[in-house]
Amino acid sequence: MKVLSKAKLESALNKLSDKNEVFVPMQKGERSGYFTWKSFDNGQDELMLDALNVYQSPKNVVLPQTEKMYSIKSQGVEVNIDKTYEDAHPTIIFGARGCDVKGIIAMDDVFLTRGYEDSFYKARRSGNVIIANACYEPGANCFCNAMEVNSLDPVGSDVILRDAGDGYVWEVRTEKGEAVTALIADLLEEKEAKLPEVKPFTQKVDYSGVAEKLKDMFAHPIWDKLSQPCVNCGMCTYVCPSCYCFDIQVKMWGDEGYRFRAWDSCMFEEYSREAGGGNPRGASKERFRQRFLHKLEFFKERYGTPLCTGCGRCIIVCPTDINIVRIIDAVKEAEINA
Amino acid sequence: MKEITNKIQTIASNLFADNKIDVFLAWEKGDLDFKTKSFVARNAEDVKNIVFDEYSINNIANSLLKFRDSHERIGIAVKGCDSRGIVRLLEDLQIKRDRLYIVGIPCPGMKDPLTAARNRGGFSKQKEADGLAKKCLDCIQPNPVIYDELVGPEQSPRQQGDRFAKVKEIESMSADERYKFWEDTFSTCIRCYACRQVCVACDCRTCIFDEMKPQWVGRENSASDNMMYHLVKHAHMAGRCIECGECERVCPVNIPLMLLNRKLIKDVGTLFGGPDAGMQYVEGSKPPLSVYRENDPDSFL
Repeated sequence: MKVLSKAKLESALNKLSDKNEVFVPMQKGERSGYFTWKSFDNGQDELMLDALNVYQSPKNVVLPQTEKMYSIKSQGVEVNIDKTYEDAHPTIIFGARGCDVKGIIAMDDVFLTRGYEDSFYKARRSGNVIIANACYEPGANCFCNAMEVNSLDPVGSDVILRDAGDGYVWEVRTEKGEAVTALIADLLEEKEAKLPEVKPFTQKVDYSGVAEKLKDMFAHPIWDKLSQPCVNCGMCTYVCPSCYCFDIQVKMWGDEGYRFRAWDSCMFEEYSREAGGGNPRGASKERFRQRFLHKLEFFKERYGTPLCTGCGRCIIVCPTDINIVRIIDAVKEAEINA
Repeated sequence: MKEITNKIQTIASNLFADNKIDVFLAWEKGDLDFKTKSFVARNAEDVKNIVFDEYSINNIANSLLKFRDSHERIGIAVKGCDSRGIVRLLEDLQIKRDRLYIVGIPCPGMKDPLTAARNRGGFSKQKEADGLAKKCLDCIQPNPVIYDELVGPEQSPRQQGDRFAKVKEIESMSADERYKFWEDTFSTCIRCYACRQVCVACDCRTCIFDEMKPQWVGRENSASDNMMYHLVKHAHMAGRCIECGECERVCPVNIPLMLLNRKLIKDVGTLFGGPDAGMQYVEGSKPPLSVYRENDPDSFL
């Protein structure tokens, strides 16, 4: 098997960074997320490939929090699009865990299928390669196995890395994967490597039948109780590897300006406010319910897979201990027509 | 703490039995020992879930905002900082005093469940210290300032040294250095608005950041929009921040938000004098920036 020894990791990242923007999990000051390898400051930053995960998922590589779409010039009553910013520059997400790969694959469903293609997303994804990092030891909050993710062999990866102690086993899965492998072929060695033991998931989650059951639970009293502690901040949605909702806004200075899209969150009151001022999800409970129905029911109905990837981030960061696993449990246990 | 829990439960049970309240706001236990969260007991049966333990850090006064438009009579358990939040809500006429039965708990200082959750989560290589939360080490008012009944022995403030030392350090920078400091600090913000949502002093019905017609602050995650968000949010807190420290505690990127709040506390104290926000409740009183007086200081204009 092909192996990239850890001693050669930096050389490999340097080489890959020649023609690609390479995003690597890092602790950068107070921030924990995917940052470009070129921005890595050896004295300050910490590479997090050997940690369980980082707080910000790699979703902003393909769906940046703020993305300029096009610039506008107005001349009298005419408005002209000056320039569009579809960005297909080559990017590599290096070392994504299975849950985060699934987040991007779920976004592919949204932005590229069902008769609609989002040209901005499509451009970014066309230049994007995913090098996954197989997960042998799930963390305390992990439950990707229950969310249809194979953490050892994530669907959608172009290359899969397997941490074998002093090196990474390098498994190529796609043509795109072949192409990036060619860039560092001289750094890969052909040898045997001992793969780590697969550790069991400590968190037990049973998602079976939840999507179907939720169909009859829109008006269930369970949501009053579950949503009570929620303060409707957007932290869960912004650390989520698969939350993709966005808003499109414009900035104008006189006759010139640009349109951009930016992450938005169903947790915010303004998100579902309509032009006339009405709001179908004006109450905290309604926004809370929307988030979980989207993750566990609606997405599954439309795309055949849940939108939650079981990464456990929202469970860690929630200031009021909203826990999606406990919500799945509560739905399982709920009596309908009680 | 077990004793305090028992006392709160007894008080809440009696209040339900005497039909004096419709709900009781306190904390309950989650599935792990560090998981304590805000809780609404709706009847005597729910009372057994109430706890007060070393992780009861959430500011319960914030839960009152969900009841400001209803008529329930509310029992509520509060620590020192939470009680200052109640004073703020009373001053802003968000809730009526006669709807509340306040059980005050002198607070011995809390641990942060988020620190424990991060340590358990395994996303960082170093473990964080799990002693008293930073906000509790900075606490100047552990004893409730408003209550109908007090449970437990009085506690001493834990804040040591000059409370504004760090503020003075920033003040002594040149304007350019200061700008750079804040620009760098706010550049990490992910605009999740958790700092706003957990803030009990943020009680506006429609927040300026949610206004779309006109839109005052853009949604771009950029230096200018991020800075606009934080400076406007915190300027609104001038004379209103009760120093519960929840904004800084919940921030997912550890922005030192209390530094900004303390600067404003220091300035408002210097300019207007008087007690800090929420330190005492006098019916009809307003924080300095909510009223106009002819002799208001204006040398900075």
